[in-house]
Amino acid sequence: MSLSADTIAALATPVGTSAIAVVRASGPQAAQFALAIFGEAPLPRQVRHADYRDVSGQLLDDILFTFFAAPHSYTGEDTLEISSHGNPFIAQKILKDLYTRGCRPAEAGEFTKRAFLNGHMDLSQAEAVMDLIHARSERALMAANQQLRGSLGRHVQQLIDRLLKVIAHIEAYIDFPEEDLPPQSRAALLEDIELLSSGTGRLLATSHYGELLRDGIKTVILGETNAGKSSVLNRLVGRERALVSPEPGTTRDYLEELIAAGPHCLRLIDTAGLNPNPTPLERRGLAKTFEQADKADLFLWVIDSTRPFSPLPQELATRMTAANTIAVFNKIDLAQIGQMKLPQPFVSVHASALTGAGFDALEAAILSTAEAFRVETGDEILAINARHAHALDQANHALSETQLKLMKSCDIELIASDLRYALDALGEIAGKIDNDRVLDIIFSTFCIGK
Amino acid sequence: MTFRAEPYDVIVCGAGHAGVEACLASTRIGASTLLLTGNIDTIAQMSCNPAIGGLAKGQLVREIDALGGEMAINTDVTGIQFRLLNESRGPAVQSPRAQCDKKAYQFRLKHTLELQPRLQIFQATVTGLIYKEGKVIGCRTNLDIEFFGRSVIITTGTFLRGLMHVGQNKNEGGRLGDFSAKTLSGSLLYAGIELQRLKTGTPPRILGRSINFSSLQEQKGDAKPTLFAFYDTRDQEDLFHVEHTGERRIGWLPGTEQASCWMTYTTRESEKIVRDNLHKSAMYSGEIAGIGPRYCPSIEDKFVRFADKERHLLFLEPEGRSTNEYYINGLSTSLPIDVQVQLVHTIPGLEKAILLRPAYAVEYDFAPPTQLFPWLESRIIENLFFAGQINGTSGYEEAAGQGIVAGTNAGLKAKGDKPMIVARHEGYIGVLIDDLVTKGTTEPYRMFTSRAEYRLLFNHGSAELRLFEHADRFNLLSKSRLKRIKDKIDRIDKWEKLFEEEKGDGKNWGDLIRKEKDKAPFPHGFLTETQEVRDEVLYRVTYRGYRTRELRQIEKLKQIEKIKIPDGIDFLSIPGLRKESAQKLDRMRPSSLGQASRISGVNPADISILMVLIEAQRREMQRPGQTLPEQ
Repeated sequence: MSLSADTIAALATPVGTSAIAVVRASGPQAAQFALAIFGEAPLPRQVRHADYRDVSGQLLDDILFTFFAAPHSYTGEDTLEISSHGNPFIAQKILKDLYTRGCRPAEAGEFTKRAFLNGHMDLSQAEAVMDLIHARSERALMAANQQLRGSLGRHVQQLIDRLLKVIAHIEAYIDFPEEDLPPQSRAALLEDIELLSSGTGRLLATSHYGELLRDGIKTVILGETNAGKSSVLNRLVGRERALVSPEPGTTRDYLEELIAAGPHCLRLIDTAGLNPNPTPLERRGLAKTFEQADKADLFLWVIDSTRPFSPLPQELATRMTAANTIAVFNKIDLAQIGQMKLPQPFVSVHASALTGAGFDALEAAILSTAEAFRVETGDEILAINARHAHALDQANHALSETQLKLMKSCDIELIASDLRYALDALGEIAGKIDNDRVLDIIFSTFCIGK
Repeated sequence: MTFRAEPYDVIVCGAGHAGVEACLASTRIGASTLLLTGNIDTIAQMSCNPAIGGLAKGQLVREIDALGGEMAINTDVTGIQFRLLNESRGPAVQSPRAQCDKKAYQFRLKHTLELQPRLQIFQATVTGLIYKEGKVIGCRTNLDIEFFGRSVIITTGTFLRGLMHVGQNKNEGGRLGDFSAKTLSGSLLYAGIELQRLKTGTPPRILGRSINFSSLQEQKGDAKPTLFAFYDTRDQEDLFHVEHTGERRIGWLPGTEQASCWMTYTTRESEKIVRDNLHKSAMYSGEIAGIGPRYCPSIEDKFVRFADKERHLLFLEPEGRSTNEYYINGLSTSLPIDVQVQLVHTIPGLEKAILLRPAYAVEYDFAPPTQLFPWLESRIIENLFFAGQINGTSGYEEAAGQGIVAGTNAGLKAKGDKPMIVARHEGYIGVLIDDLVTKGTTEPYRMFTSRAEYRLLFNHGSAELRLFEHADRFNLLSKSRLKRIKDKIDRIDKWEKLFEEEKGDGKNWGDLIRKEKDKAPFPHGFLTETQEVRDEVLYRVTYRGYRTRELRQIEKLKQIEKIKIPDGIDFLSIPGLRKESAQKLDRMRPSSLGQASRISGVNPADISILMVLIEAQRREMQRPGQTLPEQ
């Protein structure tokens, strides 16, 4: 019985020019394809040199191929990997030929899905690999690697063990009212739950950082019309991306660009200029700017240093703080109007998008602001994903409920219910927690049995 | 020799707490039933503690009542002390408990059986089962009489190869004074049913007039006793039917003339005697192979494993009104008799106590319950049902709960009807059976409230409401009682809704109750409702948030519970399942994804794989003409 009846193929290396391109085919027909294309039955795990001829017999490239026999491959299925020269044109032709021969284009993440379904990785590993594939920066890669080795699993397991002990104590008092159990102190219970709550809180705090690592730091470039926002973006990106013109108000929608900043990945978003008296068209752009600002992690406020700036709209001013905003005084190559007072003690950088002056300082400022987003969790970097965050959030919420109830001396079985809920939430990450574990702790801790 | 040529619909082997409820249940739904017992005088005998109920067990008894069982009313009528445990806590974890008059309890049940239509009782020890083509068709007995039945229920308790230990002394038997069933084990093994050993124990019994009560602390019953049976939905015809025949009166008005229990403790001298004689204990000298319950440790275990505990609490429980025998709760042991006497004499109040019966440990066979379907029928032999201690449980209530399910299902099977499955979210009976058939057990299984995920929904007062659908569908209760329960449910629902409505001044009733329970006003007419309805409505309103959360979880559970795992699936050949999980699944053979998800060691990834596989198979079935992509 096989889960996958068909063989899928896709490029395993990024699209674009590179030294080599790898095309991977996985599924029950992989060996047949090798025989049909190269005229020889493939031996597992041996790199072979061969000509690649398409169905019509035309030579496409001279290539290296490796065959991996099930289950000793990434997906756990028969897999054929073909390394061609890094010309995207050649790789595409090979892929197309494979499709003609009966392969199906792989869907996004389908190799990993098959690996997961074939038992080559568990759910959290699969998720970590998905993150690995999507990792855009060194740091995200490191976090994904650590999760793969189970650092998140270990942290959650510790929390579960501690929580189980607390629950077992409460349950003993509920289920064995006639036993001669030592008196139970709410204060001690409160202390235990406090500890647990800070544990889940610490893990949860990594959730946003995890998002930053995976999706990039969302950096909104804003400023008045014609302050040079698009030029700053272009200078950062290092190539022409946004349509730049000296006419004010060119950028009415927003543009996005990914760049690397040290170990981080920045998602630069250019916005429409801020104009105190916008036209209806500009007003639409402005609404978009606010929307972007709402989800922003970092603000680059571009200020034209040749003229005084108008106050920021309230919608933006409330979101921008010294921790997430860098003021970029642009156009230092032109005549300056002198010192301008910022509404908040933002980090400020003087630069020229035209000459590139001051951009080293800007990059340094961006780097140190981004570093400050990191949450310390010991030596390891933890970057949990949305599913984990949701579960941890549930656990955390239930724990704080418990704290409140303990202080109000609420019925103990309700407290138990909240703690159980927290336990189930943690179980969403670490797997089902058997009820018997509570009983195991009760019977090894207390002398039960009249 | 055949006793009756015409086969019975159901044969029940064993007349303990499981067997009694089983034969009553099958006859109630119209099945002709034969009850075989080795000794008619010990029908429904309380082999251990003369008490019914307690945490989670009290709920079980009320659930048994809700399914038409006899245990609740029998306890009420023969109880001599009633206490509501956890009275200071919320309703979900309160449980009724009663001391019973041991002899009155069993005589009344025996008499109930004697009067039950369609039931034949016969005294004979079952020596083996008769099989035909993978099905059971009857049984053989020690008197060389064969009995034939469409279904057979095994409720042998501790009697399967029962072996009792008092120190180095060993006696065959399921209970002191009774024979054991030796050859039946062989008959089960022959059919391919796996058996394992468990162990349990019971404390010494002493003579009341030899106890010095003056130095002991008294524990009285509640002034306002909490009873087990539901009386608000019962008609005259449902009440005390034994007593109403006019032939005999057993028992008394529930809750009257309550007796007391007495509390005492072990001493340092007790510990010394136990420690000095540990090597003579059957359990500590390696005589016993079976695994005993952790929640009911022997006194040897208590002193050894919890050495820092200075003393251990003991309860002296009267065994009845017409006997002077007392049960020493907490002093279970397998020490030799001379040591037992010395030990008892170190206990305050018992310095001169006279032993009537020794404490002993008993080892017995049980059939790991993972060999059963959730309706308690064997997966290996068709028409064969198991209930009670043979399934690895402990306790009269756990046994009776299984008995009523096995009896009902054996009756249904004989008629060719679909089985009754009590689900995990419906009550403790559901939790009990689901745990047994899904996970099995390594020690005698006892119910605890902490085993239930939805404990807050399992308040004892709601048992009838929770199990109504089963009672109604399978006609387990009288027509009039079903009607009354339905009416009660409707009224509770109506009030519950009304309490969440706005009461005319922008506030709703429920919010006020949740804020200030004692001072909140009630809607008009609420106070004229019955106590039972008011209690349930107020409970639901007060705990609304929690109940909603648990109900939501149940909905989620039902979703994956609905995904059935095809019968003949070969778990071992499913690619991607971890070997450990595949083996566990293969052994447990869960019938739904929900059940699979509760098997320990099976992780969410395994469940995802199963889900994908079942879904893929389902789609394939839907599109039979579909072919694989062409090469």
